[in-house]
Amino acid sequence: MAAREIAPDIFSVGALDFNRRLFDALIPLPQGTSYNAYLVKGKKKTALIDTVDPTREMDLVTNLVKARVDTIDYLIVNHAEQDHSGSLPMIAELFPQARVVVNEKCLDLVLHLLDIRKERCMVIKDRETLELGGKTLEFLITPWVHWPETMVTYAREDRVLFSCDFFGSHLAESTLQVVEWNQVYHAAKRYYAEIMMPFRSSVRENLEKVGALDIAMVAPSHGPVYTRPGLIMDAYRDWTSDQVKNEVVIPYVSMHGSTEKMVDHLTEALIERGIRVLPFNLVVTDIGELAMALVDAATVVIGTPTLIFGPHPEALYATYLANLLRPKTRFISVIGSYGWGGKTVDTLKEMLTKIQPELLDPVYIKGAPGVKDLRELDRLADTIASKHREIGILSPSG
Amino acid sequence: MDSYQCMICGHVYDPDRGEPSMNIPPGIDFWDLSGDWKCPVCQATPDKFKPV
Repeated sequence: MAAREIAPDIFSVGALDFNRRLFDALIPLPQGTSYNAYLVKGKKKTALIDTVDPTREMDLVTNLVKARVDTIDYLIVNHAEQDHSGSLPMIAELFPQARVVVNEKCLDLVLHLLDIRKERCMVIKDRETLELGGKTLEFLITPWVHWPETMVTYAREDRVLFSCDFFGSHLAESTLQVVEWNQVYHAAKRYYAEIMMPFRSSVRENLEKVGALDIAMVAPSHGPVYTRPGLIMDAYRDWTSDQVKNEVVIPYVSMHGSTEKMVDHLTEALIERGIRVLPFNLVVTDIGELAMALVDAATVVIGTPTLIFGPHPEALYATYLANLLRPKTRFISVIGSYGWGGKTVDTLKEMLTKIQPELLDPVYIKGAPGVKDLRELDRLADTIASKHREIGILSPSG
Repeated sequence: MDSYQCMICGHVYDPDRGEPSMNIPPGIDFWDLSGDWKCPVCQATPDKFKPV
């Protein structure tokens, strides 16, 4: 990818990674990703904001060569994670005069993770500025979006916010700016669900902090640049709000079909009561899609049989992830079938240590579901409907 | 005495349990913890905790 100007004397110099399919050995990337780095050329000094994943080091170097960059005065580190700072050691070696600009928490991480020498580093504080000559960079420390040291950089004169992972999306797209908003919205929501959602309250605070700036363009570290920043910021406001939607997410697994029959029946019953249902057969589920569904839903019902006296491992995994991601789910229940006994419901309940949804009575039955059991599922559907009405997300007529 | 939850990482301080990893015994109210107390999981300060 060539170095491309996004604003006067501000260039996007990062790398596209169309073929990457997995992040953190966990998160699927169906549309690849990009590692965005930006060069800001002031009249007197030049700054490089972030670098790229070490697997694409040469793309960054090539872009700098093509842009005829022979001096870099400052290497700004918004985030110490490998996909953005992994190439920092090499760039720091190629530009030995450059000061590595970090906040205090970031200093600790670059020393421990990247083996940068302390003497190279210049520690800045929240709201401190750096003058490049006609270009002023202001640093705003925004912790827990999504690491303890994350910060954003604001180019005052051009009103560009280099937001790093904040507002990012895993989307490899050759056009620099957003082309298809719906596609980017979907990718950004997925990214939020997978990485930012556990820190929802911090994200909300930081959203207010950057919202106070006059922003013409948001340039994140992954995915396209936003020339209409209001759209992505409004989306984040929606996702981080406490408002839930009239939706029930049903992550489930079934071995011999009994739990599946129960899930099918409950799905039908909820639809009849005017509720949107998102069932996920965990055997074929992309966990990013499941995470996305958890962003808005008011209710989650976990469906699992009992295997060796406990939940099926797929259900354990989904519940572990759901607890970790800390969605705003208000109500939770469990449905499923057992053969002879176990502690499935209790085991799942005990895993929910980080969220406090209201637990609705489970429907946990022996063997294949009979008429009596299906009526219990109808009762659960009624309970869910009345809870949704109580919190005002389902109209009284249903 | 209320339990308090860390808004950053979700860790819950339960006064009936104390904080065994920090040698804090049960029975201490959240607001009576020493001034430099931080979340044992993520190091957040007490102002980041809410009652649950």
